[in-house]
Amino acid sequence: MDRLPLKTWTLRAAWVGASLMAAAPAFAGEITIWCWDPNFNVAIMREAGERYTKAHPGTTFNIVDFAKADVEQKLQTGLASGTGNALPDIVLIEDYGAQKYLQSFPGAFAPMTKKIDYSGFAPYKVQLMTLEGETYGVPFDSGVTGLFYRRDYLEQAGFKPADLENITWDRYIEIGKAVEAKTGKKMTTEDLNDGGMTRIIMQSGGKWYFNDDGELDVTGNAALKGALDTQAKMVKAGIVKPATGWNDFVKGFTSGDVASVVTGVWITGTIKAQAAQAGKWGVAPTPRLDMAGATNASNLGGSSWYVLAKSKEKDEAINFLGAIYGKDIDFYQKILADRGAVGSLTAARSGAVYQQSDAFFGGEQVWQRFADWLAKVPPVNYGIFTNELDNAVTANLQALIAGKPVDAVLKDIEEQAKTQIQ
Amino acid sequence: MTKRLMSDRLTARLGSGLRYGLLSLAAFLSVFPFFWMLIGATNITADINTGKVTPGAALLDNIRSFVAQVDVPVVLWNSAKIAILGTAVTIIVSSIAGYGFEMFRSRLRDRIYSVILLTLMVPFASIMIPLFMMMASAGLIDTHIAIVLPTLASVFIIFYFRQASKAFPAELRDAAKIDGLKEWQIFLFIYVPVMRSTYAAAFVIVFMTSWNNYLWPLIVLQSNETKTITLVVSSLASAYYPDYGAVMVGTILATLPTLFVFFAMQRQFVQGMLGSVK
Amino acid sequence: MAIFTARNRHGGLKRYYDVNGWLFIGPALVLIAIFLLYPIVQSLTLSVYSGRGMMMKFTGFGNLVRIYNDPIFWKALTNTITFFIIQVPIMIVLALIIANALNNPKLRFSGLFRTAIFLPCVSSLVAYSILFKSMFSVDGIVNRTLIGLGVMDQPINWLTDPFWAKVLVITAITWRWTGYNMIFYLAALQNIDRSIDEAARIDGVPSWGRFFYLTVPMLKPVILFTTITSTIGTLQLFDEVYSLTEGKGGPSNATLTLSLYIYNLTFRFMPNFGYAATISYVIVVLVALLSFLQFYAVRERR
Repeated sequence: MDRLPLKTWTLRAAWVGASLMAAAPAFAGEITIWCWDPNFNVAIMREAGERYTKAHPGTTFNIVDFAKADVEQKLQTGLASGTGNALPDIVLIEDYGAQKYLQSFPGAFAPMTKKIDYSGFAPYKVQLMTLEGETYGVPFDSGVTGLFYRRDYLEQAGFKPADLENITWDRYIEIGKAVEAKTGKKMTTEDLNDGGMTRIIMQSGGKWYFNDDGELDVTGNAALKGALDTQAKMVKAGIVKPATGWNDFVKGFTSGDVASVVTGVWITGTIKAQAAQAGKWGVAPTPRLDMAGATNASNLGGSSWYVLAKSKEKDEAINFLGAIYGKDIDFYQKILADRGAVGSLTAARSGAVYQQSDAFFGGEQVWQRFADWLAKVPPVNYGIFTNELDNAVTANLQALIAGKPVDAVLKDIEEQAKTQIQ
Repeated sequence: MTKRLMSDRLTARLGSGLRYGLLSLAAFLSVFPFFWMLIGATNITADINTGKVTPGAALLDNIRSFVAQVDVPVVLWNSAKIAILGTAVTIIVSSIAGYGFEMFRSRLRDRIYSVILLTLMVPFASIMIPLFMMMASAGLIDTHIAIVLPTLASVFIIFYFRQASKAFPAELRDAAKIDGLKEWQIFLFIYVPVMRSTYAAAFVIVFMTSWNNYLWPLIVLQSNETKTITLVVSSLASAYYPDYGAVMVGTILATLPTLFVFFAMQRQFVQGMLGSVK
Repeated sequence: MAIFTARNRHGGLKRYYDVNGWLFIGPALVLIAIFLLYPIVQSLTLSVYSGRGMMMKFTGFGNLVRIYNDPIFWKALTNTITFFIIQVPIMIVLALIIANALNNPKLRFSGLFRTAIFLPCVSSLVAYSILFKSMFSVDGIVNRTLIGLGVMDQPINWLTDPFWAKVLVITAITWRWTGYNMIFYLAALQNIDRSIDEAARIDGVPSWGRFFYLTVPMLKPVILFTTITSTIGTLQLFDEVYSLTEGKGGPSNATLTLSLYIYNLTFRFMPNFGYAATISYVIVVLVALLSFLQFYAVRERR
């Protein structure tokens, strides 16, 4: 070998320098996925990947875990930049945001109407992923809600599990007062800066912030009015321990400070992580509003997998989602048993795991119950401005609690929302 | 006479008591959260959630849990690489410019300087999207170079070095010129050694900013292999049910390097600040 | 580099001077032009567009009209200015007092104190938000201590009460940045000739008098410098409110700042990049105005 000319050396040095700074390029057959909870959807996606790799050894998975807000932010930045190389092949999107992305970034997601059999999925999930006759993505978990309660506290206060079945929110408040009087524990905890509770109560009344045409539906919305009224009543009755954010909220019921919580089924894993509380918990249907059309079932959150249209591995990604999330019943049993994920593939619900009773919840057939409630969740149109409306609601909730009449508050919410949703 | 002395001594003693009291309080309040973090790392998640203030016995478990969830050497290496290389280049480029603006003044260059200073007022959020599009079209997404590039010419550090250069003795420059040194030689062999504590202070500030940087790396980095420690700790903390013991271990790990840099360079740092504010 | 010297060319001295000037600032200028000025110009052009995501239309002054009619914008602006008016003076005064207390040759453990007080600003955003949220929760250590000391008998809802949430944000920024500003003052104080202070002391000027009439005036340039950097920092306030309120600026938008609103308009709400860009220029105008005023205020008294 001759001595290398200086120029080549400089080039080599520059190359070494550059490769030190640059990450290894993606090689063919690798599917990159963004999702957000290491104990939940990330772990579930790993399981799905392993199953797929058994039949397709050439495919590898790069599952990247960011905080949920970070996934949304990165997705929005990537979509705005208009280039494909800034985005993964598959991304997890929370159902509330689905239409926002589909409508404001047309062509960004791969339509899958002809490639996936959507008839097996819960119709409300498919509906919110459909735009102008095309369906995008594959439905993942459901956020069907339930009333999780501490058997021991309620028993101490003189209530049996049957007393919590299919109750109204007013009854829930009465029970809450009794529980506090007898046990000294607050009935529940809520983060009033979060719109979750409003959404749960409103959807159980069959309504959303928007009507079916996507128009604002606030001042005349009886379910929303009921949701606000209920929360104000709960706070005034003194049965709510205020939470200062997600962690504080979780801490409220996991540390035994409160007697119950109404939230999505995905919280089951968190509750069951408190091994010392085994046998002390129970589940009951979500309380309902005392009005026509209200049900004892609702939803909070839930999310679905979407394939990016510019993905290099688009076909393989769609094939993968179809093979695992589209028909692998055994997979759904496993993620339910291991992670407490209630999928939205209806066929999976006849599986054995759904029939199992859970000693942690005093031997109840918890999963079967959630599956039953899921079938009753009223379908609503989430529209494209849920975050804006959530913000308008939480901004005015304090005034309501301070004593402002609910109709005036609804008017304020509508006023604020109008300027936000252009 | 004696009376006045007495009262003087009294005020002095009072004053010094007050002084120690104030400083102790300020020091305590400043350090307490760090103490809280150390305590947290030794407790199980349930205890952290209930606000336990005494050390627990879960430190090893927490470390084990953190190591199981995070590829520690990789994320630390990523953070270190970005922070050290980025800081080095930033200081080189920006100190040269700060020196240049001060030593070779002209009306045009002074104008340019004021325009540059104005950009300090533009919030990062507003240039983030154009910047991201630029990186995407250059194919630099998910590379560490994309994180470093926009920070290389730091307006604040240019400003800082220009201020510091005002204290650089003109006689030294004149003497060097008479000795026939070229401008770059004066900079490299005279200015840099003389201003080394200014460099140390700049290093501490830039390193800190770079190590703690969150928003921009979050947007640019896409894969597990390229993520920094700050990103990893943040995603751990935002799980549906966060393992706070492991998160506390992560925050300690994310804080230690900046602490280390500060302690190692403390003396030069204060001296360097001295030069910049003359 | 310095090929042109005074000897070999006519008018070479100026040229030599110029060439070197450009060579020194050149690399930084190129980088700034690409990674700062170009994106700024791009986002300025964005500000005459409006729309959902990539579906943008030209709107001219439409975004300015929308700003005028947007109650959330005015709320965010009021909050930002409130934080600025209350927090910056508190922090500057605190930093001055601490620096003055530390600047005493007879003080023992001064290095220890200085290090401890500087420490907060090395903590990362992530670590700091996790710690503060746990310390200031309703039954957290802060409330328990205050109740234990008998300062109050009911816990404060730090993050759910609009007033206390503002107080918490101000506390958090002050905690993080007082030590940082203090170092600047301390450095400047150690530059000041101690003999003047000594002379005044012998003349019987009390310590507070020396502080106000000797120390503060001599520190004026540094105070101006830190005030302007703090003004920029506070008017662009984002990190603290984002992490303490989970990105929402709650309760009731009581801690929503302009930067957080821009962030929400870009990433959390229906993305409207044009409107977000317009609001960011409101911050630019504000900071420029305030910096100018601060400069002016200091100049006049000279």
